[in-house]
Amino acid sequence: MAKIELNTLKKSFGQVVAVKQLDLVIEDGEFLVLVGPSGCGKTTTLRMIAGFEDPTDGSIVMNGKIVNDLPPGERNLGMVFQSHALFPHKTVAENIEFGPRMKKVPAEERRKRVREVAEMVRVTHLLGKLPAECSGGEAQRVALARTLITNPDTYLLDEPLSSLDAKLRRELRAEADRVHQELKKTFVYVTHDQEEAMTLADRIVVMNRGEIVQQGSPMEIYNNPNSYFIADFFGSPSMNLIAGEIEASDDGRRFVNSTFSAQLPASYSAIQTGAATLGIRPEHVRVGSNTPTFATQVRLVEPMGKETLIYINYGGERDLILSPRQTQGWRMAPKSASSCPQRKSCFSPQMGRESLRYPTNRLNFAPPDPYPLDGAPAASSSSQIRCGSAG
Amino acid sequence: MTKSRKHLAFNVFRYAVLTVWLAIVAFPLFWIVATSFKPDHEWFAWRPPVYWSETPTWDNYLNVWTTFASYADTQYVQSLQKPWIALRNSLVISLLATSLAVVSGAIIAYGVSRYRILSEGRMFQLLVLRMVPPIVIVAPLSLYYAALNLLDTITGLVLIYYITSIPYAVWMSKSFIDEVPLEVEQAAEVLGANRWRIIFEIVLPVVHSGLVATFLFILILTWSEYLLALILSKSEVVTLPVELSKYQGSSEGRVYGRQAALAVGITFPLIIIGLFIRKHLARGFSFGMVKR
Repeated sequence: MAKIELNTLKKSFGQVVAVKQLDLVIEDGEFLVLVGPSGCGKTTTLRMIAGFEDPTDGSIVMNGKIVNDLPPGERNLGMVFQSHALFPHKTVAENIEFGPRMKKVPAEERRKRVREVAEMVRVTHLLGKLPAECSGGEAQRVALARTLITNPDTYLLDEPLSSLDAKLRRELRAEADRVHQELKKTFVYVTHDQEEAMTLADRIVVMNRGEIVQQGSPMEIYNNPNSYFIADFFGSPSMNLIAGEIEASDDGRRFVNSTFSAQLPASYSAIQTGAATLGIRPEHVRVGSNTPTFATQVRLVEPMGKETLIYINYGGERDLILSPRQTQGWRMAPKSASSCPQRKSCFSPQMGRESLRYPTNRLNFAPPDPYPLDGAPAASSSSQIRCGSAG
Repeated sequence: MTKSRKHLAFNVFRYAVLTVWLAIVAFPLFWIVATSFKPDHEWFAWRPPVYWSETPTWDNYLNVWTTFASYADTQYVQSLQKPWIALRNSLVISLLATSLAVVSGAIIAYGVSRYRILSEGRMFQLLVLRMVPPIVIVAPLSLYYAALNLLDTITGLVLIYYITSIPYAVWMSKSFIDEVPLEVEQAAEVLGANRWRIIFEIVLPVVHSGLVATFLFILILTWSEYLLALILSKSEVVTLPVELSKYQGSSEGRVYGRQAALAVGITFPLIIIGLFIRKHLARGFSFGMVKR
């Protein structure tokens, strides 16, 4: 059982404020991911929970008890660090049994428990080796075992996977998930990787500049980012963010910038006019055949296997990124217009016959496609576009 | 192809430079060994010099290291301490001072590295202890030593060597301790280890190669220190370097063969220790330069 409450938690290092006024309740058994760019205060927050940093102000409450003055060893935590932090001069077995040894568990019992946890994270074959003889992924498993054996109420994980390669990362991510499912303990996980946050979290807490800027389930954050920063941060490739203005039109609201204009869905008909940033995920940008069209240039075609990303220079500050379902033809000679899906919608997104000539295309930009799946109307097209104050 | 050829050329050049350098460094060592085996008349031989005696003899060694009952009478030497006593003094003083310096230096270094118990300015001030030329402090020091009854005592020499070694001990071990990731300590802390256990079971064992290197480095300095040992001792506590300087007579000049035999006894233990702990030295001296 571990419910952790952070009350107006604050931490400053001299003049630098790392965490300002943080209020957060971490429920028992929750997998909470603190995510944000480096320097956002997420690691400082974790280190305050661990007890490595004294809060400048505010309190940390665990199961109803203020633990501000409790040393790390007495908070009943387990911690896994970015650099596995194994003791390099001790064997894997000695590393794992370190915790119980500190708690004066008899040798017999220790050996038994080392076996158990080693089996749980599949490192039995490494027990006699030194950390230096383990691969990065193995070392991180051992670090996890060393934490598991003490059976803590709360697991604190500080970017545990960021020093591993992509494949191992995915593998150990699944492992972390599995361990959490099995133990049903409280996990607080710090990462700057939005993908890890998305896949692991029950709840994501996004921090920036020492503050919580948004929290919610992964899908809430992905679909409804509440700021430019979060829209930009979550999702790979990231959301297209286009500066422009909202104008009133006959049918509600239009988004206009120097290159193009687009009618917004009916659900946006009441939003404030003025400067705004339009956000649209690459998978929601569609290529249509309607007028008006505008000149663009395909800058980069990035085949990722499952999808292909097309970077298009349309005159804006950043390239517009598309991940169209039809990826043929982007680098090739003209392709017949009939093979492009015709979409009739209020934006009439369409693409002319001549529009696929590389490198210069004319295409009209179609903000939210109300038909993300073939033929089927989207459940909520409003979630695919965000408008807010610019910047 | 050209790259590997370039690489080869570079290696040839490198080994050529190293060979020349090795010859320059090793020649005096060779000369000491050669001289220690020369009979009397070859010590001063010049034109041509004797590189290796055709009639090598153990006499010098026997004279210096075995006939201690009678060598005080040898015509070559004015006043002599028994080299064995000097050896014992040197061993006791340098091992004691070095051990104390390394242990306390490591603990201070831990405090500096983790808790900033000394500011950067203080750390440099600490170096002054070592950088001040001994000749400047030796006269006043000998007055204080006289007043404190420390002159010509093992305690006195251990004390001054300990004090002058502390800066090295702190600086060197700090550079190693700095390399130990804080996370390793924090991992131990979360698992319930207290500070002393972290220092002695985690941090110091991790940097033991560095500590061995520090130990040898300081040992060499104290083992070979001459000026302080000369001034702060009279007749009782003579160390090997001081002993070495006594091998000269008013009429005979320097007795090179005997000196060389003693010098071999002073120098080679260090070289042998160095060879034994070569692994630690290489790791210790390259600590921090290798990216892990």
